[in-house]
Parts: sequence; structure tokens; C-alpha cells
Amino acid sequence: MLLFRSGEHVDRWSEGRGLPTGGVLTPEQCWRLARAWFHDRLSPDWRRRTPEEATRIFGEIGLTGPFWRLG
Amino acid sequence: MDPSAFDRQVRLSIYRAIVEDGRPPTAPELAGTLDVPAAGVEDAFRRLADGRAIVLAPGTPYVWMANPFSAIPTPFEVRVGDRGYFGNCIWDALGIPACLHEDAQIRTFCPDCSEPISLEVRGDMLAAPAGATIHFAVPAAHWWEDIGAT
Repeated sequence: MLLFRSGEHVDRWSEGRGLPTGGVLTPEQCWRLARAWFHDRLSPDWRRRTPEEATRIFGEIGLTGPFWRLG
Repeated sequence: MDPSAFDRQVRLSIYRAIVEDGRPPTAPELAGTLDVPAAGVEDAFRRLADGRAIVLAPGTPYVWMANPFSAIPTPFEVRVGDRGYFGNCIWDALGIPACLHEDAQIRTFCPDCSEPISLEVRGDMLAAPAGATIHFAVPAAHWWEDIGAT
């Protein structure tokens, strides 16, 4: 999960490695994902997200489709 | 203490050490803090890793990742006040202010052109350069097949 200067830089980097472009997010989307995912990580009651919970979090941020499907 | 309660205590102690000292404890160090046998702490490390609560360095009992924190330097440098941390990726770098509930400055660089890129978190707001784009190369279903590469 890397931060690029722009989508053009993502495309050039991916092409240079022969990789298909994967999942692309805005920094704001990733910030929302980070808050939803990690806000309780230091809580004694933290537990790992279930695939269903993760899918719901992804969906709330607009990350849908096969790329974001867990398991 | 039952194993799950002990594992919770060990997990929290790992995070506390990272937040306060900038690095995770070894099993003997944490055993000294908790006044328990080191072998028991190492077993807890392995159970936590099996449950994907932490990641151990391959072939060792040493904590490599307690996400969002990395125990080793990475290109995702996070400054929170006078403390410095490393994230494992840009998602994790943003996860550090998210889990600490504090403001932060994040420094990384574009993998394509090596230009430095900075992000700033203030409260719930993120400031990022125009056009900045985050890329996940590995589909979610495969993240844990090689978490270091992910």
C-alpha cells in the first residue's frame, strides 16, 4: 500500500513491473479506512475484524468489487 | 490467568512499549516487566501471531509488526509530537494517528519518481498534496499470503 504523486505515477510504476493496476484510493478514503480500521487498536477489547465486518467497512468507504473481497 | 486474558495483557504490553519506547519488547524483556517466565510470553507471541494480532519476523520470536506500527524502519515515517514511529505501509502510517487519536505528520516518497510526499493529520482532517493517489497492489483476499510484500 503505497502513496504516489498521482494516478499517472501509479500507472507508470505498475507498467514498469508488469503488474495490473490494483486498488486505487484517494488519501481521504485511506484516512477514513485507517480510522475505521485502527481507531480501537489500543483498546483492551480489540479483536480482529471478521471478513463480514471488514467488507462492511470497505463498502462504507466505497471499496467494493472483487479486489476488496476477503477470503 | 487464562491464556486469552494473558494474551490480551501481552498484546497491550507490546503496544504500550511501542507507543512509549518506539519499539516492541522482546519476550524476555516483557517477561521481566510482567514477572512471568519468558517461555510463556514467547508462546503468547506465537498465539498472537497465529491470530494475526501481530507479525513475528520470519523464523524468530521477535515482533516485526504490531499494525499499524513497524518495529523496523520503513519509508513511512510518522511523527507524533516529539515521538517518531514507522508504519508498515501508507494505510498503517495513517493508522498511527488514528489509533493514538493524535495529530501527526507523515513522510514518504513516491515509489515511481522518489519525490518526497508529506501528509498531515489534524484532528479528523487530513491534508494531502493535490493529485496524491494511494495504490494497493495486492487484492484483499491475498494480503496475508505474504504480509511483508503486501
